[in-house]
Amino acid sequence: MMRKALSIFRLAFMERSAYRVNFILEISGGILSILIVVFLWLAVYRSSGRAELGGYSLAEMITYLLGGGLINSFLLTTAENPETSQAIQDGALSNMLIQPITPYWVWLLRDLAAKAFFGTIGLAGYAIVSLFLSERLIFLFDPLRLILFGVALAAAVVLQFLTFESLNLLAFWVENTYGFRFTLRVIMEVAGGAIIPLSFFPGQLQTVFALLPFPYLVYFPMRIYLNKIEFAEILPELVRAAAWMAGLTGLNVILWKRGLRRYTSMGD
Amino acid sequence: MGRYARLFTLLCKLSLMRQMAYRPHFFLMVFGKVIRMVLLLLFFQAVFLKVDRLGQWTFDQVLLLFATFHLVDYIMSITFQRNLSYGLPALIQSGNLDSRIILPIHPLFMASLENIDMMDFISFIPCLGLLIYALHRLGFAFTWLQAVMYGLLIANALVFLFAVVLIIATISFWTTRSTGLARVFDDLTRVGRYPLDIFEGFWKFFFIYVLPLALISQMPSQALLGALSSGFLFYALACSVLLAVIAVRFWRTGLKNYSSTSS
Repeated sequence: MMRKALSIFRLAFMERSAYRVNFILEISGGILSILIVVFLWLAVYRSSGRAELGGYSLAEMITYLLGGGLINSFLLTTAENPETSQAIQDGALSNMLIQPITPYWVWLLRDLAAKAFFGTIGLAGYAIVSLFLSERLIFLFDPLRLILFGVALAAAVVLQFLTFESLNLLAFWVENTYGFRFTLRVIMEVAGGAIIPLSFFPGQLQTVFALLPFPYLVYFPMRIYLNKIEFAEILPELVRAAAWMAGLTGLNVILWKRGLRRYTSMGD
Repeated sequence: MGRYARLFTLLCKLSLMRQMAYRPHFFLMVFGKVIRMVLLLLFFQAVFLKVDRLGQWTFDQVLLLFATFHLVDYIMSITFQRNLSYGLPALIQSGNLDSRIILPIHPLFMASLENIDMMDFISFIPCLGLLIYALHRLGFAFTWLQAVMYGLLIANALVFLFAVVLIIATISFWTTRSTGLARVFDDLTRVGRYPLDIFEGFWKFFFIYVLPLALISQMPSQALLGALSSGFLFYALACSVLLAVIAVRFWRTGLKNYSSTSS
């Protein structure tokens, strides 16, 4: 099982590396967008004449924007796993069903491979940008916090997969799932805190965002990184994230099982 | 000219039929696009909860800039942007451009308007609403002349963007793949959403004189607010005309170079 999983992961990673030049350009685009927002906030801090806004110093803000942008652009928005709905729609699923591994696992592994690929390249791009902004960045050295940050990041990756996969599985019932994914992505970017820390939004909006799983995607890991959340609060938050994961896994299982019962595939 | 207008109407109808084939998807996409704009607005509001001005710009003025940017951006994405940035390279790569060139119309017409994005057309309506709201907040304090300049500069911005997008797309006659570059430009144009006051020194100079993204939404907004000097007005017009001439020439060279290789 492990060997199978590894080879699927390796293949997907290699597939992604095939179009390098285009990727480098697309990544430059992603980094550019983050930099533009950094410029915006530099101006906001300048205009305000204050050292701290919404509880964030300028250095914390820039670190948040770069870190959050990195997580969002390279781990979350690049991998929505459209292969799932495509396979269900065009019937490629039939072929996958007779293979000795459940398609669901193949999709999960391919999604993780895509995230690993984009994440690695994103980190490289981020390193270049950091060189220019190093004086304004905050680095985390506390090992315990680093581990917790890693755990939160892993939770974000899985949560994102589960959320989008449940929309992809709707392909058993609807003809096109892109509209769902697009809308969710738009909401996820803001409600997840990828654009600014959620504490900048008016109180009522913050309450609404807190009811969704999205704050665990960017806001939560970045708060751990920036020391904006006490150790005592981290564990309960992780438990809540785990509860979301369990719930979404349940939903995925139901959709997958019911969907398979409905699934028909026509040959040509 | 009448023939092109009829053809354009037909292309709109065809696109609407094609995109409406999946009706729930169509409306979901429109919903998503409107939500995106609302959320971006919330973002600006969140910024202005902390400051009263961004450089010289007040919230109402930024609102005008934001609405203007999206107005231009929508007109571009409804019409030529995706056709040129992503459609044309695909046509060149597959050799399907042949069937477009032999039509008895200008090849650039088909290459830039074949698919009209009706989803963006519907999402464009709330954007107009936002513009009117921004103008209302500013008390409609502008003269007729300023309004005419605003319209003229929006048209000018579209010419500029068309030229840049065409130049990037034309590169694919040689490389068959220029979508990465198109994406970088897409990301760069977002600079137009913010007042240029956020940049200082080199970057400000860069976005005015080297890659004049200032003329997408900043200059039209300034014209409406009565804050644009006539020097900049002529500069903006000259920039777009010059770039358009270069782009069309480049396109012609590219088309001559087209070898129509397909599978």
